[in-house]
Amino acid sequence: MQTNSRRTFLGLCLGGLAAAATALTAYPIFNYLAPRKQTSGEGTVSFPESDIPPGGAKFFDFRGSTGVVIKKTNGELVALSAVCTHLGCIVQWENVKQDFLCPCHGGRYTPEGIVISGPPPRPLPKLPFHVANGTITVG
Amino acid sequence: MAIFKKIHTWLEVRLGIDDIVDKRLTGYLLPRNINAWYSLGSVLLVIFILQMVTGVLLLVYYVPDADKAFKSVSIIMNEVPFGWLIRMCHAVGSNMMVAVLLLHMLSTLFMGSYKSPRELNWLTGFILFNLVLATSLTGYLLPWSQLSFWATTVASNSAGAIPVIGPYLVEFLRGGKLVGPPTLGRFFAVHVTLLPLIIASFVGLHLFLLERIGVSSPPFGQQETKSTWTGDRFRYDRHSNGIPFFPNYLLQDGTSILIYLAIFSAIVFIDPYLFFPTTAFIPADPYKTPAHIKPEWYFLANYQTLKVFPSEVIGLLVQGVAMTFLALLPFIDRGKERHPLKRPVFMGCFVGGILLYFAMMIWGHFS
Repeated sequence: MQTNSRRTFLGLCLGGLAAAATALTAYPIFNYLAPRKQTSGEGTVSFPESDIPPGGAKFFDFRGSTGVVIKKTNGELVALSAVCTHLGCIVQWENVKQDFLCPCHGGRYTPEGIVISGPPPRPLPKLPFHVANGTITVG
Repeated sequence: MAIFKKIHTWLEVRLGIDDIVDKRLTGYLLPRNINAWYSLGSVLLVIFILQMVTGVLLLVYYVPDADKAFKSVSIIMNEVPFGWLIRMCHAVGSNMMVAVLLLHMLSTLFMGSYKSPRELNWLTGFILFNLVLATSLTGYLLPWSQLSFWATTVASNSAGAIPVIGPYLVEFLRGGKLVGPPTLGRFFAVHVTLLPLIIASFVGLHLFLLERIGVSSPPFGQQETKSTWTGDRFRYDRHSNGIPFFPNYLLQDGTSILIYLAIFSAIVFIDPYLFFPTTAFIPADPYKTPAHIKPEWYFLANYQTLKVFPSEVIGLLVQGVAMTFLALLPFIDRGKERHPLKRPVFMGCFVGGILLYFAMMIWGHFS
């Protein structure tokens, strides 16, 4: 039994060393491949209100995703996330129909982001915004 | 442990793994007097795998575009976490690969293992050596630094000395009259796809031949097996009272690999720029040739040979003849004797050749 326990002990040492070596190799490779940290986590986006024609929309990058501000024909502004709640495509603003269409699977939303038809399970999330001196600031 | 036993039994019933292990690993006997030099092949296999892995990782961030290549390498070195480590492993690894390859070749020459019936093994190994040099040369250009740009200019220019087709060949290699963005594109393609594929297949062929013909016994130490090869038909060189490859020799392989990794890590962590002259850190400038452009250490002898001969054609011809002689050595040297001390002519050429190579290398470095 003496030799057997010695063999087990050495085997455990070897296994431990191998595990340590694997970890030492895997750690740099994992960090090398891991996505870089986004710096735009809490940022705001500003642009002049005149960028949006009445009845039109403006799409912009917002915190690593896509946002949209539309100006309804009555001049009212709405800011929404433009990511379809079904499978993540970017919704299109249809000027003629005055509603959002997701081209991927035909989801439709009202200008307020509420689902009219199609597969989307939830409305488009609203984005906080305010207007000052003709400048829209989202975020 | 019961679960492992069950998986093993399940696989065993379907694939007969034990049979393969018994025939190819435990039952594969090597000569009893086999020495540590025989494990350099395994070391090279590990280096090749390391180069493949680090190369694929570098491809994640490297951009093969003349305007962006240098910048992307700077980003890998300075911004990507552990990017410096991956790149240094790749760059130091390529130099070490050539060094270990030279040692592997020298030990094969010294112990006469290239001799009949192992001509094909020598030939595939020789081709592998040239393929590795080609990979080093094409990979050298990719960082698009002053060093890589001008080294490639000089190296590709030497092909121009070949009569008649030379000038066109240079243009074909470069994809233009001078080294430029088209050169980067073709060198990149060759470096990351073509050469690794060819090298991998030749490694497979080299190992297949080794397994098929059998390992040669070193000409010194106790001699317990005689070669059974008579040349009339295929006969595997078996060593009936030798040592099993697994686990006995695999332990030697493991030891050599760990010694190699120790030296390799020492360079990567203590002196990673050992193989980098300062021109490696300046972006390529096609209008400004830096002073004292010199190739890497393993091309210094070739570089000096070209300078020694007045005509470039003769310089190339001399090297071509020397390389052809080396490639065909097992067909020229037909003697059965493999002990180095009993081959005085060979030993004279062997030592003389090494001294000449080092002399040319040192001369090239200081000239």
